[in-house]
Amino acid sequence: MAQVTTPPEALDTFPKILDWNAQNRGDVASSREKEFGIWASYTWAEQREEIRALALGLKALGLNPGDKVSIIGSNRPRLYWSMVAIQSCGAVPVPVYQDSVAEEMQYVLEHAGARFVICENQEQVDKVQSVLDRLPAVEQLVYCDPRGLRKYDHSALHSFGDVQNLGREKRSTLEPELEKIIAAGGPDDICVMLYTSGTTGKPKGVVLSNQNITFAGRSSVEFDKLTSEDSVLAYLPMAWVGDFIFSIGQSYIGGYAVSCPEGEDTLASDLREIGPTYYFAPPRVFENLLTSIMIRMEDASPYKKKMFKYFMDHAEKVGSDILDGKPVGAMDKLKYKLGEILIYGPLKDQLGMSQVRLAYTAGEAIGPEIFAFYRSLSINLKQLYGQTEASVFVTSQTDGDIRADTVGPAWPGVELRVDDNGEVWYRSPGVFVEYYKMPEKTAETKDADGWVATGDAGFIEEGTNHLRIIDRAKDVGKMADGSLFAPKYVENKLKFFPNILEAVLIGDGRDYCTAFLNIDLGAVGNWAERNQVAYSSYQELASHPKVYEMMQGHVEEVNQSMVDDPMLEGCQINRFLVLHKQLDADDGELTRTQKVRRAMVNERYKPLIDALYDGSTSVFAETEVTYEDGRKGAISATLEIRDATVAQKRKAAA
Amino acid sequence: MNEMSSMTPEQLNAGGYSTPDGRPIGSPVMEMKNITLKFGGVTALSNISFNILEGEIRAIIGPNGAGKSSMLNVINGFYHPQEGEVWFQGSPRPSMPPYEIAEQGIARTFQNIALFKGMSTLQNVMTGRQLKMKKNMFWQMLRYGPAIQEEVEHRRKAEEVIDFLEIQHIRHAPVGSLPYGLQKRVELARALAMEPDLLLLDEPMAGMNVEEKEDMSRFILDVNEQYGTTIALIEHDMAVVMDIADRVVVLDYGRMLADGTPGEVQADQAVIDAYLGVSS
Repeated sequence: MAQVTTPPEALDTFPKILDWNAQNRGDVASSREKEFGIWASYTWAEQREEIRALALGLKALGLNPGDKVSIIGSNRPRLYWSMVAIQSCGAVPVPVYQDSVAEEMQYVLEHAGARFVICENQEQVDKVQSVLDRLPAVEQLVYCDPRGLRKYDHSALHSFGDVQNLGREKRSTLEPELEKIIAAGGPDDICVMLYTSGTTGKPKGVVLSNQNITFAGRSSVEFDKLTSEDSVLAYLPMAWVGDFIFSIGQSYIGGYAVSCPEGEDTLASDLREIGPTYYFAPPRVFENLLTSIMIRMEDASPYKKKMFKYFMDHAEKVGSDILDGKPVGAMDKLKYKLGEILIYGPLKDQLGMSQVRLAYTAGEAIGPEIFAFYRSLSINLKQLYGQTEASVFVTSQTDGDIRADTVGPAWPGVELRVDDNGEVWYRSPGVFVEYYKMPEKTAETKDADGWVATGDAGFIEEGTNHLRIIDRAKDVGKMADGSLFAPKYVENKLKFFPNILEAVLIGDGRDYCTAFLNIDLGAVGNWAERNQVAYSSYQELASHPKVYEMMQGHVEEVNQSMVDDPMLEGCQINRFLVLHKQLDADDGELTRTQKVRRAMVNERYKPLIDALYDGSTSVFAETEVTYEDGRKGAISATLEIRDATVAQKRKAAA
Repeated sequence: MNEMSSMTPEQLNAGGYSTPDGRPIGSPVMEMKNITLKFGGVTALSNISFNILEGEIRAIIGPNGAGKSSMLNVINGFYHPQEGEVWFQGSPRPSMPPYEIAEQGIARTFQNIALFKGMSTLQNVMTGRQLKMKKNMFWQMLRYGPAIQEEVEHRRKAEEVIDFLEIQHIRHAPVGSLPYGLQKRVELARALAMEPDLLLLDEPMAGMNVEEKEDMSRFILDVNEQYGTTIALIEHDMAVVMDIADRVVVLDYGRMLADGTPGEVQADQAVIDAYLGVSS
């Protein structure tokens, strides 16, 4: 029974939409959670009751309209319920990245002025309590999982169930007031505050209104025809805007169920069990999946390998045409069907994507080969370009008009323009209200007419109106000879090799470009095993001469591929080194969404950069590392620096 | 803990005492009375007496060859001491086969992991429920009616333990393929699945790195807190023992050197000599 109906437009807040869902599709599943090995489902009616009880409980604890409440934890139905329960009280949910260290958490909690904090478990409670003396505004803590917390002082610490019970007790006295608050909510009220991890400086609290989120939810439900029949697995951080849109915005409006995995380690099997129809992942996840398939295929029997190669070659030839509905020969179609039975079907099942009818990737550029691989399997993978400030959607590819090198035309209701410096701007009903308590930052990003600067450099293709993103606008620089320096473009080319996990290009204002590389331990480790390369640590493997040789091959291939692009041929890599440690968010080298923080890397590895430019063939590096529990240590190594062959430029050397 | 150190064993034995952090410690579950154990001419344990109180974490420590594992095997009923008595829940325990001991609510793990390597984590944990299953083999083989219902109940218990020890991701993995630290955890899971009153752990941290030790310590403390399980453990990592144990027995060459709180034991000259050696 497909329900294509959506809540009427007049319902402009999520507590109101929740009521509508409970009345109109009360018996449809709204969330699922795997507990004790079994998937437990909650219908919309049950979910409303859970949320209502919690909202009343929070109210009884003294939560007032306008208060901020932080939510810290991995994807759990209870935490999603908390979001809407908080909104029901007229307060504002502020989800925080669950892997943040205590200091990062303190900054967000302090800046947002959170009065209550809802934690998933002891780990998060411990982190909050460790900085509680610096957070005078925080009054009450609520936790979901009681494990290990029994002994804690419970004067300002409550279990989720206790708060709900308190709410049920006080229902008769508090419910009328709660109803009034819900009814008073409107489109301009704050729906959520999301702190962007920020590639530079302190995180900014992006204030998104109900109008922003309902716009994003309604337009995307319409755009991709999402219904209550659809299903997603929520596994991306709750503090990330994408997850908020998929798991709250679209789920509430489309009416589909959000399933929460059992744990981080069980993701792959949970995905297979749930078989989502709608799937979202950053390119890194698609890359890792592909890498792991390829590694396993290397170990397969020769016969299987042959079959895999034969059918994958065929899929590459006709797969995406079949998906796009373009004409394909009958024989090819038949062969593809056979392949579906023998290879593609089982493979998709392994990936947990056998039911996927819609998949998105965003956040970074995806390798054309990787993109083509999934599409050739008839997985409708599309790219979208979005930002927290836009409530995700800026551009997106439409079915049947998919290309690897663009992010598609403007999203319905979004206007796009490119300024003289090549920076992309947009304006839409999804545009954020402001950065919380940062008027000058807001003014820098959003102009008086409501146009928002993306910070990305790109151009709109004539004829198709597809947007192409080149790089972060502030990262695009000039080399000493005046030619364009676009690091991300080159780094992405490098990262498309499964053996390279991360790359950092250096060269702004210099004579030539150099690069740091991070090996992918999974891929290179497997290669080492097959090639009898012995190693005892990441560091040793990374510095192995044979690994260097392999990396040199990759670098030179990338150099070769850039010759044909006159704008970017100056960005070829002259010298490179392989880093002795993985770039890590705990060390501040990556953002929590795994993007390189260029300034930080440049500062931390300055001696290495100097060595890349003074002609030396090796350099001693000592780097401080932070362990997960906050302790610090140092690792040191002598790193080899290699010269790479630069492909011949076609124009005469000036 | 300091408060406790000032108490005499008699006061402790009186029961109803709780630790400063509020955890009740009750009456003795098990008492060793003048235990002497010999293998031929070798005296493995000589005249050892101590007790294990309900709800506590009791550690038995000592250098290699001190008789720790022998002691655990005596508690477990696997070895029968030549002299002395083992009192269990207030009365002397006759010698009995290990499965009867297990039925009395005593579970253990082993120093050298003793799991069914070819079976999955879940299957291993389910074996811990075997003693609690009441339907006979006929029903179980039919997998029908009451037997299936019973299995569902026990599966839920097993899953609770799996959740508690955070081993969901290896639920269906054959345990032989798992890393050592995880196998140790599976073994603990199997013991916990028995819902024991007394849990014996033989070197739960052996061969682990710092992080694995920290995890295991946390699990042991959580088991004790959540289920109120009395735990007796053997360990030679002093730091770990001092962190998690309520009371410690120290053995050396089969003799008992000391018995007390971690603080008392650490200050004991005989213990210091045994661990650091004395110049003669």
